[in-house]
Amino acid sequence: MLANRNVRQIALGGALVLLTFGSHLGAAMTEPLPIGAALSQTSNVALLGQEQIIGVRLAEEYFNSKGGVGGTKIQVILEDSAGDEASAINAFNALIRKNVVAIVGPTLSQQAFAADPLADKAKVPVLGPSNTAKGIPQIGPFVTRVSAPVAIVAPHALEAALKRNPQLKNVAVLYAQNDAFNTSESMTFQEAVKADKRLTLGTIQKFQTTDTDFTTQASEVMKVKPDLVIISGLAADGGNLVKQLRQLGYKGLIVGGNGLNTPNVFPVCQKYCDGILIAQAYSPEAGDAMNKALVELYQKKHKKMPGQFTAQAFTAVQVIVEALSAIDQKKKVTTYDVKELRQELNKQILGQSFQTALGPISFDKDGEIVQKSFYVAEIKMDADNKNGKFSFLK
Amino acid sequence: MLQILLNGLSIGSVYALFALGYALVFSLLGVINFAQGAVFAVGAYLTWSLTTGSWGGGQVPLWETEMRLPFLAAAAVSLVVCAALSALIERFAFEPLRRRKAEPLLYLVSSLGVAIVLVNALLLMYGAETRNFDLDTLSFIPVLVEWGDLRVRGIQLVILVVSLLVLAALLLLFRFSMVGKALRAVAENQTTASLLGIPVHRTIVLTFALSGALASLAGTLVATGFSIPGPHFGLLFGLKGLAVIVLGGMGEISGAVLGGLLLGLIEAAVPAEYSGYKEAVAFALLFLVLMVRPQGLLGRRPLEKL
Repeated sequence: MLANRNVRQIALGGALVLLTFGSHLGAAMTEPLPIGAALSQTSNVALLGQEQIIGVRLAEEYFNSKGGVGGTKIQVILEDSAGDEASAINAFNALIRKNVVAIVGPTLSQQAFAADPLADKAKVPVLGPSNTAKGIPQIGPFVTRVSAPVAIVAPHALEAALKRNPQLKNVAVLYAQNDAFNTSESMTFQEAVKADKRLTLGTIQKFQTTDTDFTTQASEVMKVKPDLVIISGLAADGGNLVKQLRQLGYKGLIVGGNGLNTPNVFPVCQKYCDGILIAQAYSPEAGDAMNKALVELYQKKHKKMPGQFTAQAFTAVQVIVEALSAIDQKKKVTTYDVKELRQELNKQILGQSFQTALGPISFDKDGEIVQKSFYVAEIKMDADNKNGKFSFLK
Repeated sequence: MLQILLNGLSIGSVYALFALGYALVFSLLGVINFAQGAVFAVGAYLTWSLTTGSWGGGQVPLWETEMRLPFLAAAAVSLVVCAALSALIERFAFEPLRRRKAEPLLYLVSSLGVAIVLVNALLLMYGAETRNFDLDTLSFIPVLVEWGDLRVRGIQLVILVVSLLVLAALLLLFRFSMVGKALRAVAENQTTASLLGIPVHRTIVLTFALSGALASLAGTLVATGFSIPGPHFGLLFGLKGLAVIVLGGMGEISGAVLGGLLLGLIEAAVPAEYSGYKEAVAFALLFLVLMVRPQGLLGRRPLEKL
């Protein structure tokens, strides 16, 4: 009996020792340095995700051509985060298991609220490339983002609308209520409208990102005869709403949220896309050196100008690479084990400033981006009504 | 109020058109053809491809052709193809079961299988992306129709008028033509009908073809009015169609029409703030109606066929 207990104690002790050491041993860094990207390759968000994937792939190519991290190449490992929370969580888990140093993603704020806590708990730095809802960096100390929050970006479009038509008064707001980002963005717009003495909020209409028939909402909007309509939705539903609203005879200005900030709305609302005003955290026309490099690289492959989603995803990888390079100068990154390097990287990201395609950026103590340059673009459709461009307002 | 009525009738008339296909098959065979929703999606995609010249774009690479049909021609081709498709579905998914005098449940499973195969074939071909009709191909339709305070998009008015005309024509056809009489005779009793010299099999195939044509027409109308949100929209629409015929009374031709219009009106009456829940509201009301009148609004007989 006694012997039995001893054996059990020894076994238990041995297991504990193994566990303790095991967790400290970790995995040594491998070459090339793995950087995770959990982005939406499929689902209805794929329209945005594809642009981000181009961004991270271009960054991988660009920074590797510049010598990677002190001579060590980087490799972007992609996992599909699709359009829902469960897929984002799966993608994060897969990347953490693959020992990535940091994760760029996920595509939607809604997914970030579900998946980021996992990475934060595992102490893996996360850089949100397009999560602009309120509260993202506050998820945890390992969560940062390069996408300026809607509260800062969105009101710039309202200003542009007022500049275009100073007589503006009556405003209608529509948003996709089943999506965290669009809801949060719309609240920002609504607060900005309420705060402005010149404006009155005529009606607030809600819809779903899966809707196609907006007859009820458009009819309600037309009833209040607005001079400005503000729409927070994704490309397919938002574009469709714009189309149905214009077809129903709405002639005033339209401000779109970040979800409409993609050329993928062009085939949806076609000629009716013309004139939509959208605030931008990025302009392909900006003169920053890194932006010129990105634009050249992008144009060579895709024969057009990159959009905000591409630029932000590119920037996320840049931040990781440059922070790793700074660490590398003190101690070779390949000598770290993964867990140590992740912690060092997180510290470095928060403390450093970066010259990016989005202009000079840095992060506050929460991991919120501090960005200086913002823009407003207007959609101008070509004569064939199939293609168009985002024309930046001066 | 009038605005809601108009909006509701417009979408409701397509529901009616679509559900009529279900009702026809049900009245004849006493079974539900689940593939109707998939044929609806096939019709929408086919018309889209024929007008835009774009095929594929999912796993099948996008193939742009120069062959672009005018909208009406494309819709007509799609109608004929879907009628043939539906007749084929009858031949392969229904007829073998009918010959074996199989349980009604087996028809349901068999047609559900066809629906899933068709929808996945569309997914393979076109992917899950939203598709939109080229606005230029619809330029013959006025964009906006105003009448006092009432305003409706031209396309919605077209949907309403086309659907109502087709519905009226079909109701007249069933009531007064030989085909209609044959159909009603077969529905009453197949053996007796065949003794009377009515070609039972041909009548059944014809009915399937007609329901396929109706599905294609409804698909084309909905897709032009709004958009094609992906191959699965046929299944959701199929579910709504089912609600419509249950509401109107299974297998009742005029019940399907009434049920469709009613469902559209109920959906349109849901306040805009709750439009996200309009399907839930519609189905909840359906449930209520069934509690009070289990045979549906116009259903006369108890549902022994189920």
